[in-house]
Amino acid sequence: MVESLAPLVMAEDMAKKYGDFIALHPLNVEVHAGEFFGVFGPNGAGKSTFIKLLTGQLRPSKGRIEVLGINAVSDPQKVKANIGIVPESESPPSFLTPVEFLEFVAKLRTVENLNEQVEHWIEWFGLEEKRDTMCKDLSKGQRQKVMLAAAFIHKPKLLFLDEPFANLDPIYQRKCRHWLLEHVKNGGTIFLCSHVLEMAERMCNRMAIINNGKVLAAGTVKGLKKSKDETLEDVFIRLVGRSIEDVERLSDEGVKDKDNEEE
Amino acid sequence: MNVSGVSVVSRDWDEVADVQPASESGNSLGTSAHDQQLHEPLRGWSAFSTTFRVMFKEEGRKSLEFAKKRQMVLFPLLLTLVTAITTIGLQFLVGDSSAQVSDIESKTFTWQELRFALHLPLLMFSLGMGTFAFMGHDAIVHRSGTKNYLLAAPALQPLPNSVAHFAYFIKDLSFYVMLILSPVVAGMAVGILLESLAGISTPLEWSSLPWTWIAMIITLAQGLALAFLASALWMRGRPFTIFGPMLIVALGIAIGLGKFDIGTMLWGLGVQNSQSILGTVLALLASLAVGLCSSALIIDDFDVSVVERAELLTPIYNRLGFLGKGEIRLIVAKEFVDLIRSGSIKKMTVSYAIPLLVLLGMAWLVDFAEAPIPINLLSYAPFLGFFGFNFYSWLTILDSPEFMNGLPLGVPQLIRAKVVVYFLATSWISLIFIVLMAWRLDEWGALPTSIIVMFANSIYIVALTAFLMGLRPNKAIFDASIMIWFWIGTVIPLLLLFLLSFTQGDVSLYGNWWERTSEGGLAATAAMYDQSMVEQGYKGMIAISVALILASALLWKLMDRRWGRAEFSN
Repeated sequence: MVESLAPLVMAEDMAKKYGDFIALHPLNVEVHAGEFFGVFGPNGAGKSTFIKLLTGQLRPSKGRIEVLGINAVSDPQKVKANIGIVPESESPPSFLTPVEFLEFVAKLRTVENLNEQVEHWIEWFGLEEKRDTMCKDLSKGQRQKVMLAAAFIHKPKLLFLDEPFANLDPIYQRKCRHWLLEHVKNGGTIFLCSHVLEMAERMCNRMAIINNGKVLAAGTVKGLKKSKDETLEDVFIRLVGRSIEDVERLSDEGVKDKDNEEE
Repeated sequence: MNVSGVSVVSRDWDEVADVQPASESGNSLGTSAHDQQLHEPLRGWSAFSTTFRVMFKEEGRKSLEFAKKRQMVLFPLLLTLVTAITTIGLQFLVGDSSAQVSDIESKTFTWQELRFALHLPLLMFSLGMGTFAFMGHDAIVHRSGTKNYLLAAPALQPLPNSVAHFAYFIKDLSFYVMLILSPVVAGMAVGILLESLAGISTPLEWSSLPWTWIAMIITLAQGLALAFLASALWMRGRPFTIFGPMLIVALGIAIGLGKFDIGTMLWGLGVQNSQSILGTVLALLASLAVGLCSSALIIDDFDVSVVERAELLTPIYNRLGFLGKGEIRLIVAKEFVDLIRSGSIKKMTVSYAIPLLVLLGMAWLVDFAEAPIPINLLSYAPFLGFFGFNFYSWLTILDSPEFMNGLPLGVPQLIRAKVVVYFLATSWISLIFIVLMAWRLDEWGALPTSIIVMFANSIYIVALTAFLMGLRPNKAIFDASIMIWFWIGTVIPLLLLFLLSFTQGDVSLYGNWWERTSEGGLAATAAMYDQSMVEQGYKGMIAISVALILASALLWKLMDRRWGRAEFSN
């Protein structure tokens, strides 16, 4: 294989089962340098399992996983040392301040100019006033900023983000979005999981839609649409097995219920 | 960028061969880091020291959050004060105070017995606090909750789980040395100092203090390391979950029967007796080695199992009809679901039953009538209450109660529900134990009284723990004001019950204690036996039990006043 074409991330028949429950059916995936790859799906579709398997947080029940030339099953520590991860719902340690947590992460990751980097990210996320507040006393959004800073602090080229903007205000959503797009422009690679389809439209150059642990479709955003008029939301509804009429009927019933309550 | 021909496809589960994940496979899939320079994760000492320092800070903050600064400072001071008083009181225990009590010639306790009394409770305490593998698993499982701890850091950061656990072990050891052992030794120093300043006599020497301090550290480290090892093996599943408890019971019985030299089993005691530098180094290294082996047994497993289960809440709720129709019944049902689903019921039942099995086994093999202190059925009854604190503590960390803040419920209701759960989950074990013990000791006559004492005492200890410490008993142990009340509330009634039980009701024994011990030492305590006095003793014990039940009812009522405005948080 030609070096420049070699993918950064590759999984072969990667699957995960919890007891009798199949969280992720065997799947193959490749992510190349410079890609902004998104995995989208409804709640409980298997998105977080997908990302956790690729980042060595979970051991697969079947299959092989390789990231940056490192076997993610046998050496997950090395994978973690060379990527950045933003988990979906995890908070920074409750009893450390943002500065202390970033210092801890930077030391573990042997970041050069540690203090400078910590200060840079504290400032970048507007956490100056909260720098000495324990993380348990921060708002959800502020905790999310600390987790993002911890994923960025060692300047990894490959980032795995699970619902990264869920708790951020629009200003910081925009700021992060710009930063991530810039990161990809400069040769970085991003693997993102979300159910917010707007992110796919705005950021991803390739995406997959999954449901019940299975990939339903994959390709470019444009390629997934059947026609020019079809929106990504329509594609999503179609693929997860609901008809647009059904969804609209449910929405109408909701509005009627609300109207009845008001009356 | 070239993505042509790249596919993301799923296959059915059965289409792919059921082989183990390819950790064994040496063939590369062909990915590359391109121009990125790869970093090696920190390992060994560098990873440990980085983690340990931050964990130490985290522990300080955790304790401060509950106890506040004032109580955190007061706690070691209180320990120092209590130890200073005990040091002065040593003259009466060892009978070395000829200047003040000239008529006592024979010793009531030997130094060896006193040392044993210092090290054994310390070992028991450390065994209770050292189940780090369970703690680590809980931290990882709950890392998406409202609280997250550094012990869960390996899930995301390039830090081996084993290093994080070893750092946690050393952090806890250091913390206990700092906050418990050092103040105790400082108290001994104050006691000795008073000898020269105030003319009060104490048999303790300056030269013994460093050895006492080091010996206690060794006992603490040994207990923490052994509990760590037991929990790490338990987390590995079968066969350790079967043979582990059996081994502990056998070991406990063997120690009780004196098959092992206690100095060998209690490394700290051995060091204090021998005062050997080589022995000290070896014992410390052995404790650290056990801790290190235990941490090596911790694997990088961050799986949070997703398992579908049959509905449990309603069936359990339906069985709890005797609790009425109030919220308590619903919360108790929910707590039982937590207890069962988390697997904690097995863990708790085993850890509750093991010491009882050891006692039962010992009773099977030893004639207690010949023991220096005549342990009988009535002595076991108050003893069982002591387990209540640990069990209740576990119940409070099963699940995060924060979600209840949005429900029409109060903290006192949850606390009461946990007390009920404790009683329902453990009382049957205690009952079986006490009946088996009555059969073994052939003391059927004492059984009704023992059952009353046992239940009264269990309910009281847990009610007191719950009232004083609420949903955070683990964090309350460094709160001086709470611990003073806990100490007063438990020591006085329990001491009375124990003293009454040892004499089978012969209360007059304590009236002429000095005289009798000077004649025959501790062996004299079993000498007198009078049926009328036995009845008097039984009545006394039942009266105390009734008082404990009334006190529990009062605490139950006062729960609203103390915790009514608290928020749900553990």
